Amino acid sequence: MRYELSVNGQTVAVDVAPDTPMLWVLRDHLDLTGTKYGCGGGYCGACTIYVDGNIARSCQTPVSTVADMAISTIEALHENHPKLVEVWEANNVPQCGYCQSGQLMAAAALLDRNDSPSDADIDAAMTGNICRCGTYTRIRAAIHEVAAYDATRKGSEEDAA
Amino acid sequence: MNIANVSRRNFLKGSGVFVLGAALPARANLPDGSITAAFEPNLFVALDTDGTVTVTSHRSEMGQGIRTAIAQVVADELDADWSRVKLAQAPGDAKYGDQNTDGSRSILMNYDRLRDAGATARLMLRQAAAAKWGVPLEEVSAENHMVAHAGSGQSADYGELAADASMLPVPEKVSRKSEAEHRFIGKPVVHVDNGDIARGKGNYGADVKLPNMATAVIVRCPWLGGGVAKVADPAPRPGLIGLEVIDPAPPAGPMFAPWGGVAVLAEDTWTALSVARELEIEWTASPNQSFGSEPLTAELKAMLESPGQTLFDIGNVDAAFDSDGQELSAVYATPFLGHMPMEPPAAVASVEDGKCQVFASVQDPQSTRGLVSQYLSMPLENVDIRVTLLGGAFGRKSKPDFVLEAVELSKRLKRPVRVQWTREDDVRHDYYHAASAQFHRAMVDEKGHPTAWLQRTAFPSITTVFSGQALMPAEWELEMGFTNLPYRVSNQRMESAGIRPGVRVGWMRSVCNIFHSFSANVFADEMAALGGRDAIEHRLEMLAEGGEMEVPGMQPPPGHAMDIGRLRHVIEKVRELSDWDRERQEGTGLGFAVHHSFRSYVAVVLEARMEAGRPRVTNSYVALDCGTHVNPDTCAAQMEGAVVFGLSLALDGEITMKDGMVEQSNFHDYPMLRMNEAPPTTVHVVPSQGRLPAGVGEPGVPPVAPALSNALFAATGTRYRSLPIRMA
Repeated sequence: MRYELSVNGQTVAVDVAPDTPMLWVLRDHLDLTGTKYGCGGGYCGACTIYVDGNIARSCQTPVSTVADMAISTIEALHENHPKLVEVWEANNVPQCGYCQSGQLMAAAALLDRNDSPSDADIDAAMTGNICRCGTYTRIRAAIHEVAAYDATRKGSEEDAA
Repeated sequence: MNIANVSRRNFLKGSGVFVLGAALPARANLPDGSITAAFEPNLFVALDTDGTVTVTSHRSEMGQGIRTAIAQVVADELDADWSRVKLAQAPGDAKYGDQNTDGSRSILMNYDRLRDAGATARLMLRQAAAAKWGVPLEEVSAENHMVAHAGSGQSADYGELAADASMLPVPEKVSRKSEAEHRFIGKPVVHVDNGDIARGKGNYGADVKLPNMATAVIVRCPWLGGGVAKVADPAPRPGLIGLEVIDPAPPAGPMFAPWGGVAVLAEDTWTALSVARELEIEWTASPNQSFGSEPLTAELKAMLESPGQTLFDIGNVDAAFDSDGQELSAVYATPFLGHMPMEPPAAVASVEDGKCQVFASVQDPQSTRGLVSQYLSMPLENVDIRVTLLGGAFGRKSKPDFVLEAVELSKRLKRPVRVQWTREDDVRHDYYHAASAQFHRAMVDEKGHPTAWLQRTAFPSITTVFSGQALMPAEWELEMGFTNLPYRVSNQRMESAGIRPGVRVGWMRSVCNIFHSFSANVFADEMAALGGRDAIEHRLEMLAEGGEMEVPGMQPPPGHAMDIGRLRHVIEKVRELSDWDRERQEGTGLGFAVHHSFRSYVAVVLEARMEAGRPRVTNSYVALDCGTHVNPDTCAAQMEGAVVFGLSLALDGEITMKDGMVEQSNFHDYPMLRMNEAPPTTVHVVPSQGRLPAGVGEPGVPPVAPALSNALFAATGTRYRSLPIRMA
């Protein structure tokens, strides 16, 4: 089947079986390998993408279900969340890095809907993403740091206004 | 031109662009081959005319930060501008020396030669400038990518001197910087691959794509040693290329040979996965089908009831046990564990025209090269092993069975082939961390100290993977926390026993230190409790007197004997860090453990309680002495990760086998610790520059599980002597 997809703001076409998960459409057919295969069962979160702004496990998302939706991947994340990416990098959050695409996507989604997440909010939002290297404490600290930065910036913008 | 007198390259490249040595069309995401640059004084430094420095990492990056560390060391001695340093990844080649990224020893083995590599390039740049300007070498300085002569006011960027430097003979001796002069060594430098990783550009084994590449998903026999009796042809479908049967490993020992199975070859991964899932296969029988982990554990425990092979024996343990006094004995048991790297094994191979090229996330490209050469009966020089980033490894990716599968399939298909393991494949066909059991028996005095101590350990040895005859644990396995405990007892005997498993066992992060540290640290805590003692005070007293300690059976290289003073220091440090003497909250306990492994000293305190039948760790403290270290932030990160790794195995780590088959399959039934259970971790890295560099990747793990067991005892009064820790 031929599908027209909107991926990272671009319209692309692929010819694949309808049950093909977006994970493999991105990796095999669109050369977007930042989205990772970790389990194929929706357990680990390494394959996290956005579908119409909501996080989704791309290994559990058949291409046929998202043909008219806006798909966004890790490759585009830094455009909308430059501070998050910068903090991740500067704080040496990644170790092997393989799960970090999914971690960043989940963290960005959390910050999009909650500008000052508590530890409990972080637990709730990030527990679906496994990191075998064990970078959790740095992920938590990085999310708090980005939230604090955004709050300061917002505060100074309000002051200026 | 007198070629003998010049550095390795006697010509200049006109452009400042690196040319990859790949025979295949270069793609942005392919890992590096050989570097060619204007000035290459040695294997690790390449300088181009535009001033770009390329440092070659010959060790594999799996999250331990080695690429960054190598660059830090070289760039420091070179006095390079960090923003102009790039990394290249070496292919497997004996010219680099040992490339086996394993055993937490990359810096130990390479620190001085990497410093010399940078210092050599720096000296040659100064020599080139001195000659060019006609001034004495002593008056020429080099700093931050710039060579300068103060007297004449002349200066030049490194890049401008690359051509001249390349004409000079390589000096045999160079001087290294003093510690005070270091700009990158010992500093918390940001890792070189973070930028790529955070933008989805990190390139792992599974990400490599070659022109005309097929993808293979292999359905492997559920038991070791079985092969394919019969497989029905699948219905044709678009993208499906066909099936290939792979024979099982020879019975002499599975080693790193491919596991028997059926490979589904397809143009894309999903087609291969879909067909693989529907295949109907009949397997041939194997003696391993009678293997079960439960009977194995029962057998290990039974072995502990009678004497094993004596490894060490001083005083008279038996007579001491016949005398009056308090006696304590306990049996400990730990299960099989899986490595579970986030990136399941994946490799790309291209066998064509008598040559083989491999792109894979392997820990030892050099031994992989040798194995592929042997497997294909192909000269070594025709085999090219390129290393990607490793999406986690923990020892799994030093076993290149997945590479040999890709090689075999590419040879048959006459196309490049990527073998993609599923998570289920990974869980069911691992080289498992061995299940084990230990017996400890001691006569304990009124202060809780042993006057006699009998230790027994039993586990299937890793050597069983390599030999059909191997049975007993090897000396190096026993030196991982069993024969080299830092406690002196006047009557002490150590014994071991082995057993052949029906599965592949292999080294996993920290190896036998995991179970040996568990039993020894919990038993020491039990002795302290029996004497009504504070666990840390008691342990400090238990340590052998004095400085360096000779340990039985252990012949450490010079400078690597266990230093009791350093062990004592990390214990005191973690006591301070955890505020050990604080008042305990009701139902919450602090647990302590200490372990020496991979030449490093690590003490851990965990704060934990039982919450609805499951341990809840609320805080963790780690003190590490790893000698000279390149990046203290990496050391801290490795300790933070070790706490999570240690808690994963302590809380949930258990692989079981029945009828020769692994019963788990994915993260739902072999869970990993997640964010909601990850405790805060406070790390202290002992400033220990000037000492020999020691391990960082592995030594943090062994004290974690026993610290948890001890914390839970403090919290609840219940002893947990088996892993994973479960409510009775």
